[in-house]
Amino acid sequence: MRLAQRQILRLGLIAGGLVAALIPLAVLGVVIVSAAGLPPAFLRPQVTQPIAFPHNVHVQAARLDCTFCHRNVATGAAATVPAVEQCMFCHQVVATERPEIQKLISYWQQNQPINWNRVHRLPDHVHFVHSVHVQRGFACSTCHGAVENVGKEGVQQVRPLKMADCVNCHRENNGPTDCGVCHY
Amino acid sequence: MGVTRRDFMKIAATSAAGAVVFAGCSIPEREFQIQSPVRIPEDVLAGGDAWYASVCRQCLAGCGIIVRVMEGRAKKIEGNPDHPLNRGKLCARGLAGVQLLYHPDRVARPLIRTGERGRAEFRSVSWDEALRELTQRLQNLVGQQAGNTVVIITGPLTGYRAEIVRRFARALGADHLQLATPDQTVVRAAQRRAFGSDFLVDFALEQANYVLSFGADFLGTWVSPVRYSRGYGDFRQGRPGTRGTLVHVDPRFSTTAANADEWLAVKPGSEGLLALSIAHVLVNENLANPAAIQALTAGAGPAAFNPFRPELVSDAVGVPPERIREVARAFGRTRPAVAIAGGVAGAHTNGTFNLVAAYALNYLVGSVGLGRPVRLVARPPYGDVPYTPNPATVSQWQALSSRLDTGRPRPVQLLILFDADPVYQLQYLGFEKVLGKAGYIVSFSTLLDDTAAYADLVLPAHTYLEDWGDEVTDPAPSYPVIGFQQPIVNPFYDSRSFFDVLLSLARAVGGRLQAELPWPNLREAIREGARQLHRSGRGSVQAVDFEAFWNGVLQRGGWWDTAAAVEAVPTPPSLPAQPPVARFQGDAREYPLVLIPFEPIGVASGGPLAGLPWLQAVPEPVTTLVWHTWAEVGPETARRLGLAEGDVVAVESPVGRIEVPVYVNLGMPPGVVAVPLGRGQRQYGRYAQGRGANVLGILAPLTDEDSGALAYAATRVRLVRTGRRARVVKFEGAVPPFGFEHERPVQVTRG
Repeated sequence: MRLAQRQILRLGLIAGGLVAALIPLAVLGVVIVSAAGLPPAFLRPQVTQPIAFPHNVHVQAARLDCTFCHRNVATGAAATVPAVEQCMFCHQVVATERPEIQKLISYWQQNQPINWNRVHRLPDHVHFVHSVHVQRGFACSTCHGAVENVGKEGVQQVRPLKMADCVNCHRENNGPTDCGVCHY
Repeated sequence: MGVTRRDFMKIAATSAAGAVVFAGCSIPEREFQIQSPVRIPEDVLAGGDAWYASVCRQCLAGCGIIVRVMEGRAKKIEGNPDHPLNRGKLCARGLAGVQLLYHPDRVARPLIRTGERGRAEFRSVSWDEALRELTQRLQNLVGQQAGNTVVIITGPLTGYRAEIVRRFARALGADHLQLATPDQTVVRAAQRRAFGSDFLVDFALEQANYVLSFGADFLGTWVSPVRYSRGYGDFRQGRPGTRGTLVHVDPRFSTTAANADEWLAVKPGSEGLLALSIAHVLVNENLANPAAIQALTAGAGPAAFNPFRPELVSDAVGVPPERIREVARAFGRTRPAVAIAGGVAGAHTNGTFNLVAAYALNYLVGSVGLGRPVRLVARPPYGDVPYTPNPATVSQWQALSSRLDTGRPRPVQLLILFDADPVYQLQYLGFEKVLGKAGYIVSFSTLLDDTAAYADLVLPAHTYLEDWGDEVTDPAPSYPVIGFQQPIVNPFYDSRSFFDVLLSLARAVGGRLQAELPWPNLREAIREGARQLHRSGRGSVQAVDFEAFWNGVLQRGGWWDTAAAVEAVPTPPSLPAQPPVARFQGDAREYPLVLIPFEPIGVASGGPLAGLPWLQAVPEPVTTLVWHTWAEVGPETARRLGLAEGDVVAVESPVGRIEVPVYVNLGMPPGVVAVPLGRGQRQYGRYAQGRGANVLGILAPLTDEDSGALAYAATRVRLVRTGRRARVVKFEGAVPPFGFEHERPVQVTRG
C-alpha cells in the first residue's frame, strides 16, 4: 500500500510538470511508447468499415478470386481496393435490397468515393511491393490470414508486420535482406 | 524522488495529457483511409506512373518536356530525351511548371469586378454567366459595325494558336498585339539582315572551338538557354582532348561572362564597334575570307575597315587595343569559330547594328552554312500559319496608349488580354494610367496579374499542362521542329482554354467570325497542322494512317525533320560605313551610370514566373541573390558613393525612381549599375505580391532605330542614398566553406 501511495503522489507531481513539458516531449512520445512495447501508432484496434463487407460471401459463395477485385496485386506495389464501378458490375442486380448494398448504391448514385478504414499500414519508410511477393508464389493468406473466412465483422491484421516479421520470412525463404530492398 | 523514464511513459500513455501529446504527433487520420474511386480508371495503374510528352511554355524557347503523372496528378516535369532542342535537359523554369498548376492563388473560377478598377475586387460567377456577358458585348459591337474597337493583347504566339487569334482579330477588324518585354525583336531584325532568314539561325556551339559572344547571356536566359547550355557542355567537355575557348563581351558580369575564359567589359552600346575593330584585325592580318570582305563592305574592300583600327576605337569601346588584337587573332586562327550576339548588345538605340556587326564576323571566318556552326533552318510544311512570334514595337504601344487616352482615332470598347500584362510590362509608358479608359476589359489569367486587377471580367485560363498547343520551335536545332503540347492532367480548377473560348465566342456571334474560324476547338486546329505534316511524308514520325501519325507525334512530343537542310549560303549583309552610336536618355553628368536591366534565371518580366516560389528562390548565379530586387554596382562605384551592401538607394532616372538595396559585385565594371527584371508585381499571388521593384518603370522609351524594339539599356541613372538599410537576401555566405587542412605536400614524382 505504501508503494501505491507513493505512486499516487508521483502522479500528481508528474501531471503538473507534464503540461510544461508537453512540447519538447511530444516528439519523443511515439518513439517511447513503441519502445515500451505498447501498441505502436500504426497498429489500430478493431476498425469498422463504412460498409460491412463480408469477404467470405464473395470468396466462398461467389467463388471470386482475390485478384478479381484487388486487380493491381500482381502488377504493382499496391493491391488496391476496387472502384465503386466494379462493385456495381454485379450489385446493379445482385442483392440490391440489402441495407449494406443500398449504402453502396447510394455512393454510386451520388458519385462519391468510399473511404475505407485501412487495416494494414506499413510506415512510410518501408516499401512493400505486392506484385513481387505474389509472383514468387506466396498466397495472400501468408500475410493477411484466412480472409476468405472473414465475414461482416471485417478483416483484422493477423501478423505483426514489423521489421522482424519481414526479415524472418525473408531469411526463411531466401529473400534478400539488404536494407535497400525495402528502405528506399 | 525522481520520475523514472518508465513512470513517465506509463503516465504519458494513460493520462489525458498524454492523449494530447500523442494526438499532436500522430499520423494524420487520412493516412488510415484507403479510397475506392467511383469509376475504374482505365489508363491508371495504382502506384504506377505514366509519362506524357508535351511542350514547355515557361519561356519562348519551346523545349520538349515529359511529365510524370500518377493517378491523375502531375508530379514532375523533366526534359524530353527525344526532343532535338533540349535532349532531355531542362532549366529551373521548366521544372517549376508544376507549381503553376497547383498554385494556391490560381484564378479558380470566372470573376466579375465589384470594386474600382485596379483594386482587384471581384465576385465569382459561372462560366455560363461570364460567357453570356462577353458574347452579348461582342455581338453588340459586331452589330454596330464596331468590331474595330476591339483590341486583343497576347503574349508571343506561333502556329495555330497564333492563327486562331489572328483570324479572330481579322474577322472583327480588331487589332492583335503581342507583348513581351524584353522581346526578341532586335535579334530577329538583325538576323533577318545578317542571314536573310525569318527563322532564327542555329548556333551549334558544340561544333565550335572558339566562341565570341556579344551580350548574349546564352547560359542564363537568352533565347534558348537549354539548347545553348547543352551545346556549351559539349563545346567544353564533350570532345576528348578538345576544350573550346569562350570569350564574352558584356558590360555586366553575367552568368555567361562568369563562365568565359575571358570577359571583355565593354562600354554599353559599343559592341558593334568592337566587332568592326575585330573585323579590321582579321582583314589586315589575312585571317578573313576575301569574298566576305567584299560583300560586307559593299565592294569597298579592306580599306573600309580602316576607321576601326583598335587604337582608334579603343577609348570608345573601353577595351585596350592589344586585347582587341589578341581576341581577333585567336578568333581568326581557331576554326571553327562562332560569333554569337544578342541580349544587352541589342538593347541600345543602335541594337540592330551591334548585332549585325557581330554576326558579320561569322562570314569572315567562314562559319555560316550547311555543316558549319551557324546554320539556317528550313521551313516546315506546317501550313499557312504564323511561324514566328510578332511582338509589337514601342511605337505601336505608344499609339495604343494614346488611343486609350484620347479615344482617337477610335475608342477601345473591348480589350481582351491573354498571357500579357501591359500594366507591368509597359510600366515605362505609364500604361496603367490609360488602361482605365478602356470600355470593357476581359483578362484570361492563371494567376491574377497586375492588368487583370483592372479587368471587368477575369476568366480562368488553363495552364500549359492542361491545354493543347503547338509550337514552331524557333530557333530550331538546324532542322525544323514542331512541338506538340497536350493536356497532361484534367483541369485542376474550373478553367478553360483561351483559344477554345475564342472559338466558342466566334460560333456564338456567328457571321464572318464563325466563317473565319471553322475549328470546333484548339485540338482540331492543331490536328489540321499535323495533317499537313503527315501528308508531307517526311520527318521523325511517318504513318499510313493519320490517327497513328497523330498518336506518334503526341507520344514523342513533336515532329522534326532531320533531313531538311538549307543548302544555300546566305549573302553577307553590307555594313554601314558610319556606325550608329548608342544614344542614352539622361545627361551623363547628372546621371553618371548606365542602367543595365537583366533577366535573372528564375523570374521573368512578364508571365506568372514571379508567382512561383521555386523560381523566386533560384539564386541569381553570379550574386546568389533571391526573392527581391537589388542594384548591383562595382566596388569602384560603391567606394565613390560611399555605399555598402544593404544600403537602400533610390535608382533615379530622368523618368522615375525605384528604391532597392545595393549589392556590391566585385565583377561589375565602373559606370554601370545592373538591376534584375521581373519583380515588383502588385498581384500574381502571395509569393510575388509587393516583392522588390519593377525596373521597367524607370526606363525611358528609347527604341532601337532599326527594329523599333525597346532599347532597355539606354537609360542613365544616378544612385541616391536613402539612409535606410535592408538585408540583402542571398545564398552566398549561408553555407560555411569547406576547411581544407594545409598539410606538408608529399612529393610523388621525381625531378
